[in-house]
Amino acid sequence: MARVGVFVCFCGANIADFVDVPTVVEEAKKIREVKFAVDYKYMCSDPGQQMIRDAIVQYRLTSIVVAACSPRMHEKTFRKALSDAGMNPYLLEVANIREHSSWVHQKDKKAATEKAGDLVRMAVAKSIANEQLHEISVPVTKRALVIGGGIAGIQAALDIADARIPVTLVERSPSIGGRMAQLDETFPTLDCSQCILTPKMVDVASHPYIELIPYSEVIELNGYVGNYKARIRKKASYVNFKSCTGCGACWQKCPVKVPNEYNMGIDKRKAIYTPFPQAVPNKPVIDAEHCTMLLKGKCGICAKFCEKGAIDFKMVDEVIEREIGAVVVATGYDLWDATPYEEYGVGRYKDIINSLEFERMVSANGPTGGLPIRPSDGKVPKSVVFIKCVGSRDKAKGIEFCSKICCMYTAKHAILLHHKVHDSRAYIFYMDIRAAGKGYEEFVNRAQVETGAVYLRGRVSKIYQKGDKLMVRGEDGNLGQEVEVEADLVVLATAIVPYKENPALARLLGISYDKYGYLSEAHPKLRPVETAKAGIFLAGCTQAPKDIPETVAQASACAAKVCGLFAGDTMKKDPMVSTVNKEFCSGCQNCVTVCPYQAIVTEDIPLGHGAKETRTVAKINEGVCQGCGSCVAICRSMAINLAGFTDPQIINEIVAI
Amino acid sequence: MDYSKEIRDIAAKLFADGKIDVFVGYRMNGFDDNQVPVVITDPKEVSTLVFTEKSVFNLTNYLKTDHTRGKRVGLIVKGCDSRSLNLLLTESQVKRDRLYIIGIACEGVVDDKGVKMQNCTECIVPDAVVFDEMLGSPRGKKDYIVNADIRALAEKGLVERREYFEEIFENCIRCNACRHSCPLCYCAKCCIDQETASLYNGSNTASSAFHALMTWSLHLAGRCVDCRNCEKACPSHLPLHLLHKQNEKVIFENFQNHLAGVEEGERGAFYKYSLKDPDDFIM
Ligand SMILES: Cc1cc2nc3c(=O)[nH]c(=O)nc-3n(C[C@H](O)[C@H](O)[C@H](O)COP(=O)(O)OP(=O)(O)OC[C@H]3O[C@@H](n4cnc5c(N)ncnc54)[C@H](O)[C@@H]3O)c2cc1C
Ligand code: SF4
Ligand code: SF4
Ligand code: SF4
Repeated sequence: MARVGVFVCFCGANIADFVDVPTVVEEAKKIREVKFAVDYKYMCSDPGQQMIRDAIVQYRLTSIVVAACSPRMHEKTFRKALSDAGMNPYLLEVANIREHSSWVHQKDKKAATEKAGDLVRMAVAKSIANEQLHEISVPVTKRALVIGGGIAGIQAALDIADARIPVTLVERSPSIGGRMAQLDETFPTLDCSQCILTPKMVDVASHPYIELIPYSEVIELNGYVGNYKARIRKKASYVNFKSCTGCGACWQKCPVKVPNEYNMGIDKRKAIYTPFPQAVPNKPVIDAEHCTMLLKGKCGICAKFCEKGAIDFKMVDEVIEREIGAVVVATGYDLWDATPYEEYGVGRYKDIINSLEFERMVSANGPTGGLPIRPSDGKVPKSVVFIKCVGSRDKAKGIEFCSKICCMYTAKHAILLHHKVHDSRAYIFYMDIRAAGKGYEEFVNRAQVETGAVYLRGRVSKIYQKGDKLMVRGEDGNLGQEVEVEADLVVLATAIVPYKENPALARLLGISYDKYGYLSEAHPKLRPVETAKAGIFLAGCTQAPKDIPETVAQASACAAKVCGLFAGDTMKKDPMVSTVNKEFCSGCQNCVTVCPYQAIVTEDIPLGHGAKETRTVAKINEGVCQGCGSCVAICRSMAINLAGFTDPQIINEIVAI
Repeated sequence: MDYSKEIRDIAAKLFADGKIDVFVGYRMNGFDDNQVPVVITDPKEVSTLVFTEKSVFNLTNYLKTDHTRGKRVGLIVKGCDSRSLNLLLTESQVKRDRLYIIGIACEGVVDDKGVKMQNCTECIVPDAVVFDEMLGSPRGKKDYIVNADIRALAEKGLVERREYFEEIFENCIRCNACRHSCPLCYCAKCCIDQETASLYNGSNTASSAFHALMTWSLHLAGRCVDCRNCEKACPSHLPLHLLHKQNEKVIFENFQNHLAGVEEGERGAFYKYSLKDPDDFIM
């Protein structure tokens, strides 16, 4: 006969304020199989767990029900408590009376208490049918895949590789470096971005444990944690990197000019190009969309000038495969397109630029030699208006969130402007100044004091042209009056958004993303670098806007997670997976198509005992199965059994209420 | 519609050429002008074959029996029958290369009293969709019709609809003739007979019949081709098609005009996984 112990948690006030916990205990005691029931303030605390361990021994319990928060939160904790008391951890059931009752029924304590009672009754009934389960152990492939070679990807790759774990780093563009390679000096210390970044880029290229695959994209990911298989498309570069020495003769001679992405289109690059002088790898690629040889079969000048004969117009895309155990996604960010701000004349007035364009202009290696200029006439601006929160925090036009870094880089831009053009003045329209971070407030103060930047609190309502100036009209909220500033140049701090390809990438990887396309972490507080899919981690701005220090910290955290995952030769896996009862399987293979993890294959078994004829039945790979139960629901023959959620368990639950 | 001669000729030739081991067709029942299915293994019996508007049964049901398992089979399919055949192929229950299919461009069949079957008056796909050889001239696809009975059902609230079916199913004697006659009920062990399925077990009470029939209809939702083999087989004359047609309508409306078995290789509406699947309907 089953002997069930029930442990009801107050969760401080979280549960106790809206559910009458002692009543739930009394209700539990009425169930025939319940031999012990008790409540406690924090069941997850050590004394709480001790109560469970003691009761298991004292009352010879055969299964345990903890009525507390979501199993996502503490199922592991309580399973461990069972193990410690010598009980199979899977004899635990968690009744979620917090998320499923107290938090959602705050207005009706009586009903919430009744529901909590029902949830406990169900859990008790289910637990009676629980079986002892044992963790599955699966082999791991100790190689990490890092997608995206910005500072996030670079840092994660280096940290993992330093732990002597091989890394494959896949970067979409011809060079690693990401946005940081486009920055001039960086807040809050104003050290030169290139100077701190390029050594790391070189380290990546030379690290014995890093395989750098530039100009490539991940096109497929199959498998499961510890045993993924990635397919990577290497785009044709039309340059044989083995023989190319990076001398540059080719791009100097190429006659085709294309807007230069690295310089935000301010100047031109060639159809064969290295994105910037410090690029890693420092080898050119041919941009097939613009090369006349590839488009029309005429030209071939670069090939003529290449002494090494490295140019190969016949090169085609190549798909390679890598077996890996974990993935770090670090695909960074883009700037939001500010076109919806019609009243600013975005797109109409040449002298309105975005923050990265400004960043390129003031960069020593930038297209203007480090001086900001007006795109309209090339003159150096004296009066520059910076507008923050363009798109950010503007539900009507853009997006709800705060892009987090614009306050800081705009302060930096004021300082950089002051350094480059001494007799200039910066006017900064802002909503709030958010400078939370070590040395950040001091940095903003410095911008205000040192440069005389005028901070105007309010949104800009209109920009219009007057002569060769731009008139910027807005509110000075501090004075409560309208102001109009005459500007030579306007810089928009447009919102930080993920690349528009992010959702497609997320779907391909099988991870989730939010309405903006940012990839979602498993838990906003306690699992900020993991995704909901085991073995896939997030670093940098692909998850949310962040600055370099935070990006680097998250990247290193990813590396720690990957190293932890690879600590043993095998990996433990939850035994809650599905199996097929071959006898009942009719071989319809509907489960094969419905399984979102491609965990189901087929096998042929003899039609009957000793028969030569065979029939086809389904077979589930327990390593791949995530225990979602889709196949169980879809199988009409009821041939599939999901451990931990068997039919008797579920039917017990249903019958209990 | 009388293809008796054509079918005899084809069957005779198939046997003569050694292309088939058995032929599944129709013959006269021997006492009135109605027909019964027949499985022929002896070429001499080919002369008994008939095909007219009295050839009502869906013969693909015989593909799940020992008469045909593992054998090369010649078979006649009307529009609706061919759709269930398509599903049997997709669901790996029969192998295409073992079949010789005579498709009919069907003009509709009649019941015992000679009245055109209701499903035939509403038939959307009269021409066989899978065949080796076609008899008759194709009539093309028709528009999907929701008839008055189903509209009335849809208008009932959930509770009322449940009560309506509960009342009807009180007359079910749980003989399982519906299941046996359905070409798409081929499970090795039907869930209704499994021990864990305590909801259906042990009795022929109204409630066990209700659960059994509901489960059965859900297992056919998005798969039922409206051939009405079940209804013809039911000794209690239950209007079983109401259940299936109700499901068919909900699925047609929610899954981009999905109709079971029309497209080759396409699974039932519920047997594909997509994040875009609708989830805001109740059957
Ligand atoms: C104007 C401006 C000024 C800034 N100034 C500062 C500053 O002074 N100090 C500071 O701390 N921070 C600053 N930042 C923030 C800083 O740029 C970011 O914190 C940092 O670049 C984030 O790095 P990341 O690796 O996450 O993304 P990114 O730098 O965007 O790198 C992402 C990389 O992934 C690649 N990629 C994208 N998609 C794919 C794909 N599908 N497959 C393969 N590769 C892909 C991209 O090509 C890119 O190389 C500034 C930002 C802006 C806009
Ligand atoms: S759905 Fe069920 S019957 Fe069909 S193949 Fe899968 S396990 Fe077998
Ligand atoms: S439970 Fe079934 S459908 Fe879900 S992952 Fe496992 S095998 Fe696939
Ligand atoms: S054939 Fe009729 S009586 Fe028999 S089980 Fe089916 S519905 Fe019930």
